Amino acid sequence: MPPDLPFPDIRGLLRRIGLDLAFVDPATRCDSLRELAIQLRDRIVAADPPTEVRAAVEAAVKACDQPPADAASWFGCWHEWLEEAVTAWEQGRPAPAWTNAPGRPGHSATSPPAAPAAPAAPAAPAAPTAPAATRWQPPSGSTVESVAVLPAGSDAEMMQLFCAEAVELLADIEQAALVLESQPDDAETLATAFRGFHTLKGNAAVMRLVVLQRLAHEVESLLEAARRGSRRLDRDAIDVILAAADVVGRAVAEMGSQLDGQYPGRSIPLPVTAVIDRAQAVISKPSRPSGILVAGPVSPAADGPTIAPIVPAAEPAPPPRAEPPRPAADPVAVPPAPAQRAAAAASVRVDTTKLDLLVDLVGELVIAQSMVVQAADQAGHDDQLTRMLGHLRGITADLQRTALTMRMVPIRGTFQKMSRLVRDTAVQLGKEIRLVVEGEETELDRTVIEELSDPLLHMLRNAADHGIESPAQRLAVGKPAAGTLRLRASHQGGSVVVEITDDGRGLDPARLRAKAIERGIISADAILDARETLELIFAPGFSTAEQVSDLSGRGVGMDVVRRNLERLRGKVEIASVPGQGTTFTISMPLTLAIIEGLIVAVAGQRFVIPTLAVRESFRPRSGSVTTVHARGELVDVRGSLVPLVRLGRRLGLAAEEDPGRAIVVVVEAGHDRRCLLVDELVGKQEVVIKSLGETFAGRTGFAGAAILGDGRVGLILDTAALVRPSRGSSEKIPSETVA
Amino acid sequence: MTNSTRDPARLTPDEAPARPAKYLTFSLAGETYGVPVLAVREIIRLCPVTSVAGMPPHVRGVINLRGRVIPLVDLRVRFGLPAAADHDRTCIIVAQVTAAAGGTRPYAVVVDGVEDVATIAASDLTPAPDFGDAVDIRFITGMARRGAAVATLIDLDIVAAADKAAEPPAGPKAGT
Repeated sequence: MPPDLPFPDIRGLLRRIGLDLAFVDPATRCDSLRELAIQLRDRIVAADPPTEVRAAVEAAVKACDQPPADAASWFGCWHEWLEEAVTAWEQGRPAPAWTNAPGRPGHSATSPPAAPAAPAAPAAPAAPTAPAATRWQPPSGSTVESVAVLPAGSDAEMMQLFCAEAVELLADIEQAALVLESQPDDAETLATAFRGFHTLKGNAAVMRLVVLQRLAHEVESLLEAARRGSRRLDRDAIDVILAAADVVGRAVAEMGSQLDGQYPGRSIPLPVTAVIDRAQAVISKPSRPSGILVAGPVSPAADGPTIAPIVPAAEPAPPPRAEPPRPAADPVAVPPAPAQRAAAAASVRVDTTKLDLLVDLVGELVIAQSMVVQAADQAGHDDQLTRMLGHLRGITADLQRTALTMRMVPIRGTFQKMSRLVRDTAVQLGKEIRLVVEGEETELDRTVIEELSDPLLHMLRNAADHGIESPAQRLAVGKPAAGTLRLRASHQGGSVVVEITDDGRGLDPARLRAKAIERGIISADAILDARETLELIFAPGFSTAEQVSDLSGRGVGMDVVRRNLERLRGKVEIASVPGQGTTFTISMPLTLAIIEGLIVAVAGQRFVIPTLAVRESFRPRSGSVTTVHARGELVDVRGSLVPLVRLGRRLGLAAEEDPGRAIVVVVEAGHDRRCLLVDELVGKQEVVIKSLGETFAGRTGFAGAAILGDGRVGLILDTAALVRPSRGSSEKIPSETVA
Repeated sequence: MTNSTRDPARLTPDEAPARPAKYLTFSLAGETYGVPVLAVREIIRLCPVTSVAGMPPHVRGVINLRGRVIPLVDLRVRFGLPAAADHDRTCIIVAQVTAAAGGTRPYAVVVDGVEDVATIAASDLTPAPDFGDAVDIRFITGMARRGAAVATLIDLDIVAAADKAAEPPAGPKAGT
């Protein structure tokens, strides 16, 4: 090849076309694209290109004049092929195979002569370097790709960035869509949703995710129509927006796991066609203020899954982080990001292990400081020293508090997920439900938030399904047709309280009781007070749903919720007024990293018992311990007999043998209680829980370790494991059967 | 003295480090052992140990290393050497070993005393001989000649990985 060929120019043009394609749909607006295509053709033709390349550029110019129906994907594929072909040309290789001669676009009326004129049956020798199966194929017919493939070998880091940003954008989009449902004309929110899809489209284009790019484009068109005022966003439109966000979310999640090394390169089936069809149907259809969408998605199955693997072009894609250049042809002014984004930018992502290290070191500082204080006390009084030490103590206390709150994040994200759930549930059940959210800014430990999500989801679903009546029933009893669910978070003391309130039918004690008797949970003559009756819904196997619905009432209900919350050292309480509604109150520790512990001593070694599990402690009177079969021991705790666990024997330590000279600590887990026999109570202390680590992974019986006031390690007892009825001797730790 | 960054911990008969590597040598029951210096985080004095019931006898328990709870293993017991009381030269080597979940984790071992940091040339290394059943050579990566003496080079990664799962805890057995 002559060295004076204008490859840099050609590449420059190709890159501009690529950007143009990312932001403009060639089917509707192709002025600038046409101009670029003509420039490209002239450049290339002047350089005496291979036949296929010449045919391709000419085809593109024709396609600009008469866009095919699926112009976006046609151009996308064309562009990608051309980049490879130009590289091949430059290196003197034959052009890569146009593996699948592009079919005629489905709508022959708009079909340009260009599409089929694309190079057919090119030089076969290209095949070895470009295996047909993994190379791109131009779309045939009107089929829209329903499969996106993670570009093999594409820059993983860029992909990670794409995924991370997509997740943020999707959260914004979802939230905006839910706001738009009640305020369809809110310009600010419309702009947020529009911007979300716009950015998503640009990013997808840069990553060559043509399928996602096209999907985002369709939704963007819908939102654009809404912004112009030509299409009001009704429920159908919102459904489409949410469905599109779900599809992108699924793609991103799957790509994320592929990036983590799970089945990399596996194709990701996505119902893109169906959603795009719905979006187009919604755009072309007049608005309906209410009603459920029935616009049947054209079954993509008819076409069969069209696998369109996308491989990165030889030329590296433009950096995705660059602010998407807005082509002049794009008439839509994108407003600047709201202040919320700016606030997010002011935070720093920190590895949690670094935070843990900080907490560890601050803990050590506190211990070291108390040792200094002790030494100073022993050395005699010195006012100035005492004052300075007091100052130091204040600083370390502040430091410790700050370090511990660094893991705290607002509960907002979880609440946003809940609004989506309530909306979908309401649609599914044909109910009208309004979700009122309060206290979104309440902060708690990240891990607690993650663990709280599932129980909340379950309880809200229950409330929507069982609590809130159908609109007809509500109107009949004089309530507004729309039910209200209230989700409220707040700080109360050292814990966070989340309340879920519905204004539904409430719990009927008589019905609960009847159901419990029917299910054999209580006997027919059981005497229960009001609270105990309500608590029946937490009993295993209890479900009040008359019919098992799709949404809840499978019997894995509230008992699982309560168990999970208790595992997190949380509590759930219930209050209900028949006919007026039900309130569930969850209280959770702010953090899972710290617990209040009762420090006990056994044979000189100290152990921590989580205070939450401790009911009471006392020195047993002689004779209050009775033996059964000379082995099992029971303690009389105010009239009820509770099994005794001698901690010393359990742990193989030489502890006080005479119960009369020892202390009994009554611990509870679930409905079981045990009396732990310890030598003495040392005190109470807030401790930071530390994992015992890998070496002790198979060792149960300890929930972790903590650094005690003197700097020694104290083991935290796993009360649930101690309380669990052990087979055989109660003196041995049942966990010796290590897998 | 080369500042070798190569981890010579794993040696096979066919593969020996081309350049000299540094080892921290220590004594256990009169014998000399060595671990790659790069795997060592610090050497500390014996400190209060919290024993954990139900663990094999070589696991002494856990210690507090500046706020971190780390396991402490007695190498004498681990290698089946005669037990001995701690004395004033007894110390703890805190090493970084490979964690199952990836990355590294701290792992502390009790030794009779630290000797020195030795640079051992590849030519002075021989693979661990097969002692038959007499000696457990799982943890040995090679033998290093140092003048008249010989140091046994060990891999703490393997020592640490063998703590869990492999052996049932030697604590009291369940009554069933």
